[in-house]
Amino acid sequence: MVVRQYNEELKYLEKVNPYCWKIKKGFQPNMNVEGVFYVNNTLEKLMLDELRNACRPGMTGGFLPGVKQIANVAALPGIVGRSVGLPDVHSGYGFAIGNMAAFDLSDPKSIVSPGGVGFDINCGVRLLRTNLHEKDVQPIKEQLAQSLFDHIPVGVGSKGIIPMNARDLEEALEMGMDWSLREGYVWAEDKEHCEEYGRMLNADPSKVSLRAKKRGLPQLGTLGAGNHYAEIQIVDEIYDKYAAGKMGLERIGQVCVMIHSGSRGFGHQVATDALVQMEKAMKRDKIETNDRQLACARINSAEGQDYLKAMAAAANFAWVNRSSMTFLTRQAFAKQFKMAPDDLDMHVIYDVSHNVAKIEEHIVDGKLKTLLVHRKGSTRAFPPHHPLIPVDYQLTGQPVLIGGTMGTCSYVLTGTHQGMTETFGSTCHGAGRALSRAKSRRNLDYKDVLNKLESLGISIRVASPKLVMEEAPDSYKNVTDVVNTCHAVGISKKTVKLRPIAVIKG
Amino acid sequence: MSNMFKLKLTALGHPNPENFNCEDEKEYRSVILWLEDQKIRHYKIEEREGLRDIDADNWAEAYDAYQRDLVSPAADGNLNEQLSWILSYAIRLEYADNVEKYKNAKVEEQKKAAPNVVSSNPLDNLDFSNPAFKAGVERVSTIVGVGPHSDPKIRLAAIAKILKTAPHPEPPKTEANIIQQPADVLKLLFVQDLRNLQTKINEALVAVQTVTADPRTDTKLGQVGR
Repeated sequence: MVVRQYNEELKYLEKVNPYCWKIKKGFQPNMNVEGVFYVNNTLEKLMLDELRNACRPGMTGGFLPGVKQIANVAALPGIVGRSVGLPDVHSGYGFAIGNMAAFDLSDPKSIVSPGGVGFDINCGVRLLRTNLHEKDVQPIKEQLAQSLFDHIPVGVGSKGIIPMNARDLEEALEMGMDWSLREGYVWAEDKEHCEEYGRMLNADPSKVSLRAKKRGLPQLGTLGAGNHYAEIQIVDEIYDKYAAGKMGLERIGQVCVMIHSGSRGFGHQVATDALVQMEKAMKRDKIETNDRQLACARINSAEGQDYLKAMAAAANFAWVNRSSMTFLTRQAFAKQFKMAPDDLDMHVIYDVSHNVAKIEEHIVDGKLKTLLVHRKGSTRAFPPHHPLIPVDYQLTGQPVLIGGTMGTCSYVLTGTHQGMTETFGSTCHGAGRALSRAKSRRNLDYKDVLNKLESLGISIRVASPKLVMEEAPDSYKNVTDVVNTCHAVGISKKTVKLRPIAVIKG
Repeated sequence: MSNMFKLKLTALGHPNPENFNCEDEKEYRSVILWLEDQKIRHYKIEEREGLRDIDADNWAEAYDAYQRDLVSPAADGNLNEQLSWILSYAIRLEYADNVEKYKNAKVEEQKKAAPNVVSSNPLDNLDFSNPAFKAGVERVSTIVGVGPHSDPKIRLAAIAKILKTAPHPEPPKTEANIIQQPADVLKLLFVQDLRNLQTKINEALVAVQTVTADPRTDTKLGQVGR
């Protein structure tokens, strides 16, 4: 890393407009393209403070500041366009979380990097609607939260209640949501309203280590820990009546369920295994990066292909996982209201992935190119009429589900044409951390956090209350700032705001 | 053409419409004279001398003058066109003389030989000679930059070629609606088709599910973590 004074560093950053900063070449060595990040005044301060702190003498260890990480990604071989930091960007392993980068498939030097996908492969958000009103749920929300908690096992080391053997797992890894569909855990319409239709076709379970499968098998149908949650939410505000109507969100007070989860230990193991392989490949192919954490391999190398196939299997695991929880949620609601999930209109509105790498076609410099798009902490947000979004959303653009933090609001956005040209059809994914987990544990008390939620009228069920402060709203950026920035920049459009009334968490 | 003459002559009550040969100069001249004498009567009887002398060399001049006097729009056309107009004119006069008589005449609908095929593709029913169609092609051509051609169909083919190969030209703001509206209609039709297809796919999946689906849960397996 280049060591410079903070003032010197600032010379490489240029504020292009009130919401957009450019990172010029030279900020980090060997940048192939420029970097860019989108922030409003509040988020801008957080970004620059992080950089300022890193410039203080004697600051070593820990992650690099997000701006530096965006610039390091811009130095990776084969990157096209710009290395993009979304408003919720914060430091992560190698790539910042909230960083998206696209690599040209026709360039033999282009790379794929597990750090650009994240450890929780295909972590994502699914939103179910119901035809219930807040007044139907308020009186029994404690029972409902408990019922969800009983159905969906949460926490580190939790085990699912859907019986599966090793063969089932192999099939599920290959088939993704088609497996859930075949076994009857989900509805045909669920598949229709899911990114990639819930199945990455290049998945190859034989590229996944036995260790990953062993970790994954008992965890299917569990929520996990960390920032994952299931929430009962209420439609609080509707900004775009037409688009909301297309999603079946017709009125204020309507009840929804949001599930935020990923591929659990399975995805983590796939990423860890790949990093080991890639370090070897880097030595062999003489790939140089600015940061050791940016381990990568050429896309068309054996290691690159193996990772993409294993990653696809992990993505399928995550979809089966969210599908199983969809099934369990429907059961919990059906029991509580003594009505069939059909009659409760519990349809999946959409299911987004915000930790994944996908092969997509984009226009770069006026030419159609096939790219490997890494989205880490970034949600795909395709515009109206894009062929890869479901027919129901052809006129509105793809729904983008932005989960807030425990106890704050969540948003539904839609994709825009501007997002397609500026950020390869990508937008933010959530609030984004402001404090590290360790810092949150030091600065906050879990009892305060729980009391605060209670005072807001939010029922909460947690497996490990003592870790709750890691996920407290104060540890995160304000999701409203993040979403408003995306809306103001035009890379996605606000549609609906949701507020939680019950949370279950690991 | 001669068939049309035959019909019109029959309508006017010509004594021998079946055998009339419009190519024969003498017969042609005598028909013109018959029309003036019996039906049109534009000239006084003594003024018809020039036309009456059907063998004379200057008959053509007299005929030309006659047409000018009738203000025939076909006067500069060929002989058939000239006769056709004069016949129609005669019929018009005949009708005007006996409006009452002809008013109630009804045309019996002829049985169509071919079955009446209604094409479901609206594009098949385009009327290429329709002025609105021509004007539309004209406007799109100026936007796309296709040069003039008398046949709008050829211009349309050129436009199609350009749209297929080149990136779509940016329409000028004022003309944007001409492109935008039909494009929007096509997109909506496409979305509707896609919805029908997706519904059929879903139905097929549900049909398979009735055979394969057996969702089970076992709460004994469940374990809440820490």
